Amino acid sequence: MFENLLQRIISPVENIFREFGSIGLMFYQSIYWMFRRPFKFDYILKQMEFVGLNSVLVVVITGVFTGMVLALQSYHGFRKFGSEGLVGMTVALSITRELGPVLTALMVTGRAGSAMAAELGTMRVTEQIDALMVMALNPIKYLVAPRIIASFIMLPLLTIIADFVGIVGGYIVGVKLLGINEGAYINKTIQYLDLDDIYNGLIKAAVFGVILSVVSCYKGFYTSGGAEGVGRATTEAVVVSSVSILISDYVLTSIMF
Amino acid sequence: MKENTAIGIKDLHKQFGDQKVLDGINLDIERGKITVIIGKSGGGKSVLLKHLIGLVKPDKGEIWVDGLDIVKLNEKELNETRKKFGMLFQEAALFDSMNVYDNVAFPLREHTKLSEKAIERAVEEKLKRVGLLAFGEKMSSELSGGMRKRVGLARALIMDPDIVLFDEPTSALDPVISVTIEDLIRETQTHFQKTYVVISHDILGMFRIADKVAMLSNGRIVAEGSPNEVRRSNNEMVQEFMRAVKMPALSGGNYA
Amino acid sequence: MHRQQNISTEMKVGILVVVGIIILFYMSFRVGKFGVFREGGYDLVVFFDNASGLDPKTPVQIAGVEIGKVKSIQLEGYRAKVNLLIKDKIKIPLDSKIAVKAQGVLGDKYIEVKPGGDKKYFDHGGTIKDVITTPDFDQIFATVNRAAKNFGDTLDEFSGIIGPKEKENIKKSLDNIQTVSNDFKEVIRVNKENITLVVKNASVISGKLGSIVNDVEQGKGTLGLLVKDETLYNDAKETVAALKTISTDIEQGKGSLGKLAKDDALYNDARDTVKNIKDITAGIQKGEGSFGKFTKDEGMYNEAQKTMKKIQKGADGLTEMTPITILGTIIGTFF
Ligand SMILES: Nc1ncnc2c1ncn2[C@@H]1O[C@H](COP(=O)(O)OP(=O)(O)OP(=O)(O)O)[C@@H](O)[C@H]1O
Ligand SMILES: [Mg+2]
Repeated sequence: MFENLLQRIISPVENIFREFGSIGLMFYQSIYWMFRRPFKFDYILKQMEFVGLNSVLVVVITGVFTGMVLALQSYHGFRKFGSEGLVGMTVALSITRELGPVLTALMVTGRAGSAMAAELGTMRVTEQIDALMVMALNPIKYLVAPRIIASFIMLPLLTIIADFVGIVGGYIVGVKLLGINEGAYINKTIQYLDLDDIYNGLIKAAVFGVILSVVSCYKGFYTSGGAEGVGRATTEAVVVSSVSILISDYVLTSIMF
Repeated sequence: MKENTAIGIKDLHKQFGDQKVLDGINLDIERGKITVIIGKSGGGKSVLLKHLIGLVKPDKGEIWVDGLDIVKLNEKELNETRKKFGMLFQEAALFDSMNVYDNVAFPLREHTKLSEKAIERAVEEKLKRVGLLAFGEKMSSELSGGMRKRVGLARALIMDPDIVLFDEPTSALDPVISVTIEDLIRETQTHFQKTYVVISHDILGMFRIADKVAMLSNGRIVAEGSPNEVRRSNNEMVQEFMRAVKMPALSGGNYA
Repeated sequence: MHRQQNISTEMKVGILVVVGIIILFYMSFRVGKFGVFREGGYDLVVFFDNASGLDPKTPVQIAGVEIGKVKSIQLEGYRAKVNLLIKDKIKIPLDSKIAVKAQGVLGDKYIEVKPGGDKKYFDHGGTIKDVITTPDFDQIFATVNRAAKNFGDTLDEFSGIIGPKEKENIKKSLDNIQTVSNDFKEVIRVNKENITLVVKNASVISGKLGSIVNDVEQGKGTLGLLVKDETLYNDAKETVAALKTISTDIEQGKGSLGKLAKDDALYNDARDTVKNIKDITAGIQKGEGSFGKFTKDEGMYNEAQKTMKKIQKGADGLTEMTPITILGTIIGTFF
C-alpha cells in the first residue's frame, strides 16, 4: 500500500528525468552524426524549405499583427504621460528581444514541429525507420540531424523577418494610424534599440529552433502504438516543445539581458 | 558452426512484457539455399526475422553471421554486417516521401558511387522484374498493398545482397503474380547462389521454391528439413498446417 | 528526399536566406547608425555626484544637437566617472560647462554641454571639470510641494492686510517697480560713477530686500501654478529682462557709481519704492486670514498675482545670471 503510493510519486519524476536524458542523448547523437561524412545537404535543404519557407507566411502575419497590437496597446499607456514617442521603442524592444523569437518558435512548433513528430512517428510505425537501419543507414543522421540543422538555421532567419515586419507593423499603426510624430517614433526606436537586442533575440531563436526540433524528433522517433500513437506523439511534441521554449526563454533572458 | 551455415541461431529468447515470443530458437540457415519459415500468425516469425538483422535485441541467445555474434556488435560493426543483407518488410516499409523509382534507387545512391545512368539501368531492370516499370513516378502512398510489396522486393534485391530476408513476399498478391514473384525469388537465388530466408503462409507456393523448411510454433522450431521431410513430420502443428491447405481443387479432391 | 526538385528548393531556400540576411544588415545598419561609435571620436571624462538616469549610449548634446554619447559609467571613489565619446569634428572649448538634463518632466536624461569661449579645446581623454549640478526630481517635487503650501499661507496673509490703503500701496509699488527698473537702466547708463554714494545709504534697506527675495523664492511654486495667464507671463518676462539688464549693468558699472548719488529725484523714487515694499512686507507679516475679501476683489487679486509673478521671475532671472549672494550684495550696497 505504502510502497504503491511511493511508487506512484516516484515514477513520474523518474520518467521525466529519463525523458530528458533520452532527449539529451538524441541531441548528442545528432551532433555526432552532423559532422560525419557524407553530409546530407539535400536533406538539410529539403528541411530548410519545410521549416523555413513554408513558415514564412504564418510568421509574417504573426509578426505584423503583434507589432500592430503592441503599438496600439502601448500607445494608450504612453499617451497618459504624453510620451507617445516611446511607442516605437517599446514595440521594437519587445519584438526583437521577446516576441519575435518566442512567437516565431511557437508558430514553427505548431507548423513544423508537429509535422516532424507526425512524419517520424509514421515512419516509425510503418517500419520505415527500421528499413533505413536495415540499409545500414543511421536514421538519426538521415532524419533527425537535418531537421535540427534546418531549424537551427531557419529560426533566426524567420525571427529577423518577424522582427522587421513587426516593427513595420508597429510603425504603420503608431505613425500612420495613431498619428504619433514620425521623427520621434523612429529616432526613439533607433536610439533605444541595440544591436545586442536584435542579436540576442536571434541567438534565442536558434536555441528555440534546436529545442523544438530535438523534442519533436524525439517524440516522433520513439513513437509506438500505430496511428493513435502518432497522434499522441504529435500532441506531446507541440506541448513539450512549447513549454520548453518558454522555460528556456526565461533562462536565456536572465543570462542575456 | 558448420561451414555452409550463413546464419546460426543459438538458444534465442525474446519476451515482450509477459508474452514469451521466442523461447529458445535453434536454427541454422544454410548458405546458398532458400529457407522458408512457416508458423501461425502472431507466432513470432517477423520478430525472429528482425533479430537476424539486429533490429531487435534478444533477451538471450546468439546470432552468428559470418563468424560474428551480431547480438554483441556495436552500431558501426552491425552496419557493416547489415550491408550484406537485404530485407523485405511485411508491410513493405517504403519511404513515403519518395516515389517508386527513388525508393528502389535509394540503397544504390547511399551506398555506391554509381552514376545516375547506371542506377537507372539497375532500377529499371528490377522494376521490370516485379512488373512495375510503368509506375516509377508514382508516390509510394499511391500504390496498392501488393504493388508496395513488389516495390519493397525490388528494393530488397537492388544491392544484390548475400542474404535476403523476405517477410511474406506473396501475402498480398493475386495467384498469378504470386507465382511470378516466387519464380523471381527462385531464379535470382539459383542464379546468384544467395541465401534467402522467406517467411510465408503460402505453404503450397513455398514448398515449390524451398530448399529447407522450418516450422515455428510456441516460440520454438518444432520441425525442420527439406519440404518433403517436414511434410511427413508427425508433429501435430505441422499436420494441422498440412490439413488446412488440402483443398479439393488443389490437392486432387481427397479431402474428408 | 527528392532529388529532382533540388534545384528549385535550393533556389527558394537561397532566396529566403538572402532576404533574411539583407533584413539583418539593414536593421543592424539602422540601429548602429547613431554612428559616433562607428565614425570614431575622442573620449572625455566627467565626474558627476549623481549619474542616475545615465546609461551607456545616453546622448551628449550641444544646443540640442547630438555630438556624442556616453560610453561607460563607473564608480570612482564615491563619484560617478562618466566617459563620453565625442564626435571627432566637434571641438569643445576648455572652459565649457556640462550638466545632466532631462527632456521634460518624464523625459529621458541627456548630457548638455555649454561651450565656453576659450580658443583652446579638449583633447582625447580630457576631463570637463565645470559640472553644473541640477536638482533632481525628488528635490523639485519637494520644493513644489512646499511652495504650494506656502502659497496657501501667503494668500491667507494677503487677505488679512489688504484694505483700500494697501491696495493703493501695492498699485503704487507696482508702478514704482516698473519705473524703477526703467529708471535704473537710464540712471546706470548716465550716472555710473555716482552710485557709490547711494550705496552707503541703501545698506539699511538691503535686509528688507533680502526678505522679499526670500518670500519671492517661496512663492515659486505658486507662480508655477498660475502660469496659465499669457499676459501675466509676458509681463513677467519683461520684468525679468529689465532686471537682467540692471544686474549686468550693475556688474559692469560697479567700480564707478558716484554720479548716481547726485540725482535726487531718482534717489527719492527708489526710496519710495523701497518704502512701499516695506509697507507690504510689514503688512504681510502682521496680517491674518480672511481670504474671502481678497478673492472678491478681482482687480486686486490680479494685481497681486502680477506683482508676485514679476518679483518671482525677476528673482529667477537674477539667480540664473549670477549667484544670488553676489547680486544681493550689489543691490544691498546699492541701496
Ligand atoms: N514491438 C513489440 N512489442 C510488443 N509485442 C510485440 C512487438 N512485436 C511483436 N510483438 C508480439 O509478438 C508476437 C509475434 O509477432 P510477429 O509479428 O512476429 O508475428 P508473426 O509471426 O509475424 O505473425 P504474422 O504472420 O501475422 O505476421 C505478436 O503476438 C506480437 O503481439
Ligand atoms: Mg509477421
